[in-house]
Amino acid sequence: MKYLRFSSGEVLARIIAEKDNPQVDVFFGGIADAFVAGKKEDVFEPYVPKGAEAIPDKYRDGEGYWTGVAIDPICFLFNASFLKEHNLKAPDSWADLLNPAFKNGLLMADARTSGTAVSRLFSLVLALGEDEAFAYQKKLDENVQQYTESGAGGALPIARGQAAGGIFFIVDALEIQQKGYDVVISYPKEGVVYGVEAMGLIRGAKNPSVAKKFLDWAAGPGMQRIYEEKKINLIPTHPEVSLENPALDMKDVRLLDLDIEWSGENRKRLVERWVKEILR
Amino acid sequence: MGERNPPLEKNLPSFWGGRIFEGTIWLLLGLFVLYPLFRLLLLVFSGDGAALGNLLRPFTDSYARRALVNSLILALSVGTLGTALGFLFAWGVTRIPLPRGGRIFFSSVTVLAFVSPPFTGSIALTLVLGPGGILPELLHLSNFSIYGFPGTLLAETLTYFPLAFLTLGGILGALDPSLEDAARSLGSTEGRVFRTVTLPLCVPGLAASFLLLFAESLADFATPLVMGGKSFPVLPTEIYLQITGMYDLRGGAAMAFVLLLPALGVFLLQRHRTNGRSYVTVTGRETPPSRRVLPSRRVKWAVLGVISFVTLFIFLLYGTILLSSFVKVWGVDNSFTLDNYRFVFTTGLNSITDSLLIALTATFFGTLLALSVALLAAERKGKRGGALEFVSLLNYVLPGTVLGIAYLVAFNSGPIVLTGTMTILVALCAFRYDAAGIRAILASLRQIDPSLEEASLGLGASRLTTLRRITLPLILPAVKTGMRYLFTVSLTAISAVIFLVSVDWSLVTVRILQAMTELLFAEAAAFSVVLILIVFTAIGGINLFFRLLFPSGRKGPGGDTLSHGQVE
Repeated sequence: MKYLRFSSGEVLARIIAEKDNPQVDVFFGGIADAFVAGKKEDVFEPYVPKGAEAIPDKYRDGEGYWTGVAIDPICFLFNASFLKEHNLKAPDSWADLLNPAFKNGLLMADARTSGTAVSRLFSLVLALGEDEAFAYQKKLDENVQQYTESGAGGALPIARGQAAGGIFFIVDALEIQQKGYDVVISYPKEGVVYGVEAMGLIRGAKNPSVAKKFLDWAAGPGMQRIYEEKKINLIPTHPEVSLENPALDMKDVRLLDLDIEWSGENRKRLVERWVKEILR
Repeated sequence: MGERNPPLEKNLPSFWGGRIFEGTIWLLLGLFVLYPLFRLLLLVFSGDGAALGNLLRPFTDSYARRALVNSLILALSVGTLGTALGFLFAWGVTRIPLPRGGRIFFSSVTVLAFVSPPFTGSIALTLVLGPGGILPELLHLSNFSIYGFPGTLLAETLTYFPLAFLTLGGILGALDPSLEDAARSLGSTEGRVFRTVTLPLCVPGLAASFLLLFAESLADFATPLVMGGKSFPVLPTEIYLQITGMYDLRGGAAMAFVLLLPALGVFLLQRHRTNGRSYVTVTGRETPPSRRVLPSRRVKWAVLGVISFVTLFIFLLYGTILLSSFVKVWGVDNSFTLDNYRFVFTTGLNSITDSLLIALTATFFGTLLALSVALLAAERKGKRGGALEFVSLLNYVLPGTVLGIAYLVAFNSGPIVLTGTMTILVALCAFRYDAAGIRAILASLRQIDPSLEEASLGLGASRLTTLRRITLPLILPAVKTGMRYLFTVSLTAISAVIFLVSVDWSLVTVRILQAMTELLFAEAAAFSVVLILIVFTAIGGINLFFRLLFPSGRKGPGGDTLSHGQVE
């Protein structure tokens, strides 16, 4: 098997441009809303992998265009020494981020670039309601140092103390913590949404039978156990895969279920509203 | 110098003026420049009828309009500042009697700045100048923010000024210092010599480098993405976000066509500015070696001061990359390790050899192409030459992301299928990065007295012999400039190739991108250091190649005056 690795947006742009003569068979590990967008462009072939029925419905497309293999909740990531210096505890509410102590100190992904930012946007809309979410983000903007180009992009400056903190996918936040940086991970009590890492078959794939075999394997517990073995901090969707890492235990975290179809339909509108109201 | 030279007589037998040759060049440009652009336009209009709205969005939508205006301001500033800085470096290297080691040193610094490995270069800049970075800490500027226009301008100027240095170094090197000396010995002040002799004769070089830097900045989406902050949107970045973030391939591509307009404007302006004037300083006439009157000490030290300051800053940037590549986790575990390099040479070796092969091949074909286009355009004056020049510039002007998608769309289906091959990567590099060579060679050709070539032809030498024995040696520095640029950028560029790398052909820059997304900064830094070493080795190789091929090199009138002016 050979693979190329890019961000979801880049992969989707490539697949759409290659539509007349697909160069790959499977899109693996992209965020689910990229699949929703791709479905509209007619670049995916419905296929429900064998055994995928075991995966809860909310992690799968109803028509089989994509299957979620793991979820990735949003969290807060803060520099521990910054918090100590300013006598603050790790924020546990969205409102905590408005603290003036964080002025010019937060890093957020630009809503137009990354799954992280869109998930942040959806979290706020679900937790606070749409209009309140935008009013909140307008206030939050005062504390934002920069909107970064990739979801993980802000993690390193925070770890190194160039910024106070930010909002990330847990996979990136834990990665930077495992490297040894002194950072704190926390969650807002109002709840967060999670990204669904999905996979799907490309329409017109040149090797459909091999591709289907791969999808069958990847939907099963065997593949999903690899995440933990390789310290990739995602939460598997297959109920048979249990997790040892306490950092990924979400029983005390309020996870908000996001309707992927709804998110796919409203993504563009919400992001455009973000550009219009927050960026300008 | 000032006299007008008659244009080359049209009735001379001409090889590169021949119809077959011209047809071949146009065929190639049609295939690898116009055809992808046409397919992209088709894609833009294949959608739901919003195409026209998308095309016009940079004018109708207020945010996109702001991005367009910002892009233009940025490109003009980068063009001006970068050309000025490049000129200072070139002037310093060619006019200040530095020891040979000093000349090589400053030339190497520009190469270093030029390599500017993707991502790690910007990260280094934020580490040095960003919030809590090395310099703000040192100067106790706690609320200093580099993000926005100043940061983007600084980063782009530092990355692209070497291109101006290369172009102008060749021009200044070929400019007979005895002209400046004559003015000085006639009692002109330093400022007057500069204003009335040096600067006017450099106009083709200045115009060429301004155009290159302007276009380079207009197409750059990655630097503003990192340095732009939250209040400085530029169009190439907006396009990138539209395509990869909003999943809107057509809308993003449509907006890119607007960028062709300012590029055309600047192109026409520089043509208008330099046409109809003569900049000939390389003639067959022997000028007696003049007594060198050196530039005044004050000017010398001022220039040396500026370029030394910039040099220090560049060292600071690259020093941070070098250090990061040798430690385990910077800031946490600063112990020395070679693991990052072990990682590069085990898992990354394939991508290094692939990148090298592609860069070398692209350099070879791109140089041939640049030479052919430049010689042809110089001979075909007027509209035909102008069209050729502009078309050859198109791929350079489009943002890399958009060009990459155009190539993908054009060569993935239809009459010519090239996706997944090495050819498509080589073609992309050759037809995009030949631009610097074309501009440099054209500027250099303007310095040469046509009577030199005419004399050779008149003495019975063939066109090809004249090219090999007279013209080529005279434009050699410009050809070298083109080659260095081609090689370096083919090796380090990322935005366009993202869409064209395939499972069989990966590239170092793509590996750096992967390392960055996996937060493996130390590994990315090690990849960058290896890239820098490869570029230095290759440039040494190019110099050696030319020394063997043309042992005499470009000598100006008066024999040795120009060996003094050679840019290493």
